[in-house]
Amino acid sequence: MEEHAPHTTDALIQLEVNRVVEDSTTDTRIVVLTRADGTSDLFMVWVGASEGESIRRALDTSTTPRPMSHDLIKSFGEHLGVKMERAVLTDVKSSTYYATVFLENKGVVRTVDSRPSDAFALALRCQAPIYVTQDVWKRRTGQNLDAWLSKLETKNIGAQEV
Amino acid sequence: MLRFAIHILNTEREDIGSAMITQMQVKGLMFDPYNNAYIVILRDEDQSEMLPIWVGKSEASSISLAIENVAPPRPMTHDFMKTYLDAFNAKVISVVITDLTEHTYFAKIHLTYADSEYTVDSRPSDAIALALRTQAPIFASESVIRKQSSEELDQWLENLKPEDFGKLDS
Repeated sequence: MEEHAPHTTDALIQLEVNRVVEDSTTDTRIVVLTRADGTSDLFMVWVGASEGESIRRALDTSTTPRPMSHDLIKSFGEHLGVKMERAVLTDVKSSTYYATVFLENKGVVRTVDSRPSDAFALALRCQAPIYVTQDVWKRRTGQNLDAWLSKLETKNIGAQEV
Repeated sequence: MLRFAIHILNTEREDIGSAMITQMQVKGLMFDPYNNAYIVILRDEDQSEMLPIWVGKSEASSISLAIENVAPPRPMTHDFMKTYLDAFNAKVISVVITDLTEHTYFAKIHLTYADSEYTVDSRPSDAIALALRTQAPIFASESVIRKQSSEELDQWLENLKPEDFGKLDS
């Protein structure tokens, strides 16, 4: 449970997952998010390789022969009648983002503490919106990294994993 | 359906319809250098049956954290899965490795929520990672144990070198 999670979305900025970029030097993935209001600034979150691939698969709406971990969580929701309302990036401490997932069942809303990667992977599968607080948006890493990111993406062409 | 679940909990080996199931314990994790994957070793209580299940690196890491009872600074995916279920007081009753087809294992997770029982299809790795975190028993169907050729496994184990053990990164 996250006590500080805002219970309205008024002061929040809605984000959309744009793409997942491979950082081949560190075996991590960079999730690139854009603002839903069309403002050009980017929001980047570094995630593990398997979490990044799970997000990528959700973006591609590609399916795997067997349910992966986040498909299983989605399946729990479908069986139990739990709806994912939204994911909110609520805090950043020592370059680590904290997320809260809002879940609803029979009118009761519960919040669950989560890493951003799990929140994104589940939100994309459940068509739930993703938000960031104004405070976290202001303290985001990766500001002015657009040039670096495009260089990384150019370098990665043809080096995608199989 | 609830009666069925209690049935499983109270019995070591029980005939459920036509499917016999055996309770299994997670005995350990090994690195398989030939397939660059990890193997979860399940054994039954009297150590007569062994079931090796090949899993990916991140799933192995998650199972390892649960075996070692290590709480990572941030919730990993299966910790999140557990809190998700806890938030609505849904309980994992048991997990069952149900089938083996073309080298792929299939599993089911049995849940109770608001006096009803639910069965959810899962990969064995997710089922085991969740069972270890929720103290739910792990079962394997007799057909899975029968299908898994122990002869093949023994030969494979003989080929392993001592340095192949204990390579888990955590």
